[in-house]
Amino acid sequence: MGPDARRLHPAGILVYALQTLREAAFPLIAVFLVGILGSGLDEGALARGALFATIGAVVAAVGGYVRWSTTSYRLTEDGIHHRRGVISIKETDVPLSRIQALDVEQGPVQRAFGVQALHVQTGGGGAGGEIVLDAVGPGEVRRLRDVLGERRPEAALQAPAPEVARRLSRSGLVATALTAGQIGVLLPVLAAGGQLLQTVVGERGERGEEAIRLLPDSASEWAVAAAVLLGLAWLLSIAGAVVAFAGFTASRAGDRLRIRRGLLARREATIPVERVRAVEVIEGLLRRPFGLAALRIEVIGHAKEPTAAQTLFPLLRRAEVRAFLDELLPELADDLDGLAAPPRRALRRYVLPWAVAGLPLLALTPWALLLSLLGAAYGALRYRAAGWRLAGGRLAVRSLVFARTTVLAPAANRESHSLSANVLQRRAGLADVSVAFGKTTRARVRHLEAPTARRLWENVNGGH
Amino acid sequence: MTATPEPDRRLAPAAKPVWRLQQLAGWAPAVIAGLLVAGQLEGLAAAAARWLPLAGLLAATAVVPELRWRRWRWDVRPEAIDIRQGAFTIRRTLVPMERVQHVDTTRGVLEQSFNLATVVVHTAAGSHTIPLLALRDADLVRDHIAELARTADGS
Repeated sequence: MGPDARRLHPAGILVYALQTLREAAFPLIAVFLVGILGSGLDEGALARGALFATIGAVVAAVGGYVRWSTTSYRLTEDGIHHRRGVISIKETDVPLSRIQALDVEQGPVQRAFGVQALHVQTGGGGAGGEIVLDAVGPGEVRRLRDVLGERRPEAALQAPAPEVARRLSRSGLVATALTAGQIGVLLPVLAAGGQLLQTVVGERGERGEEAIRLLPDSASEWAVAAAVLLGLAWLLSIAGAVVAFAGFTASRAGDRLRIRRGLLARREATIPVERVRAVEVIEGLLRRPFGLAALRIEVIGHAKEPTAAQTLFPLLRRAEVRAFLDELLPELADDLDGLAAPPRRALRRYVLPWAVAGLPLLALTPWALLLSLLGAAYGALRYRAAGWRLAGGRLAVRSLVFARTTVLAPAANRESHSLSANVLQRRAGLADVSVAFGKTTRARVRHLEAPTARRLWENVNGGH
Repeated sequence: MTATPEPDRRLAPAAKPVWRLQQLAGWAPAVIAGLLVAGQLEGLAAAAARWLPLAGLLAATAVVPELRWRRWRWDVRPEAIDIRQGAFTIRRTLVPMERVQHVDTTRGVLEQSFNLATVVVHTAAGSHTIPLLALRDADLVRDHIAELARTADGS
């Protein structure tokens, strides 16, 4: 370690030890479980278990210390230098000019020791920082903030800028968790179930046959099993939402947005408002019937990096969205209603592709008709949700995929926009307009009258 | 408000044989699968499986590259990159110059054989391409865009 180089706060040893333990836990537990399956839960198994646990703890402690002692950072003339690694050493240099913000995060370990994990952000702020200092004491955090030059309103010599904040209440958190409906959690649960099934059924001999007898063997039992798995996935998604969004606070001070959230790991992100490209109002399947919505922003990072999407607020009433944006993000605030719809004759173009898609299956089963009807209904819902408005340089575009999403952004914030029409559309005098605001935020409205679409396309460009 | 001028620069004529080869490569699996399946079927189904993919390949190789090349237009103006492309679905895209993060040229195997190159423009939301230009043209366009993007006061 050279001069000026600093190690992380000693709490980092415990942080790294826990990380090592997490990585080693899975194989250790797997070995232990296989042992149980082989010879049952007896004294020998318990003794083995205790041995594995001890080995795991020792390995974790040693690994944690080694990682802590080989991680260091120092401030250079034009930025910060970070070095870590035992066998393969990774050195990262981040120049001052690339630093967007210094975000902090507090996991349970950091909170116990009163330290923070510091993320040096160069990108849009979605993922972790380019450099992460896993345990930094409060004094050092202050020093780094001063030196790396982040302008914080509280540190200003004049009176600090007034700060407007919105907090997610406890009931709000409950509502968020219950309506989150993350289908994405279902897949790992199903995968885990499948794996378990495979290992149990694959087991030869008596155990295997017993297990096969346990399998559901009628449609109703399979339905029950599916319901149980779905219920499990839903519970996991609820837990995930609580952990991610507890204590969610969005605030605006001067030209920066600050977002704090998290139950086990407290995260704090600072976003310069000029880097917010667009706002999305997302009304999910479970939220729309209650008039609720979530807000998401697309943030651009440093040059040469893609944008990143972040939650601006996890749940609020749709009717309050305009007021919320006026307070925290007036640069992008706009009305959600009063959008122009596609022409009536476009309805069949929204409906037909979805209705027809399932028809080939008619050869297999008459139930395909139901599928077609559902498809047609979905297409009709998409038509009803479609809408757009361009007024005063501000664009508002609404569409439906799963959730009904409204994109609000000044047209000048776009990354690109396009006008397109396929053969059938050209013959019918219709066209689509699509505006890209970031990697995940694309505003698209389909099947407008061709002259209207062309005018919209020109006007989006005209404002520059 | 004056309408945006239509782009008028075209791709290299050698783009057509490149696309023909790509169509061939794309349809070949379907033709082979059709021939294999035809062996299992009888009568009309067998004839359909044998000849339909082949007909598709011939039609695609003859029609698509020509149509696509005739419709492909692009232009680089100080304020934006203008691209109009598509054989059946025609799409007109404008990329504001200040959103261009960086620009490269790439050359795949086919491009190298025909002395062509593709210009790729990167923005924060993704990339846009002007494919199959003559090698020298591609380099000139890349440098031109890089110069314009630098002076466009990127954010």
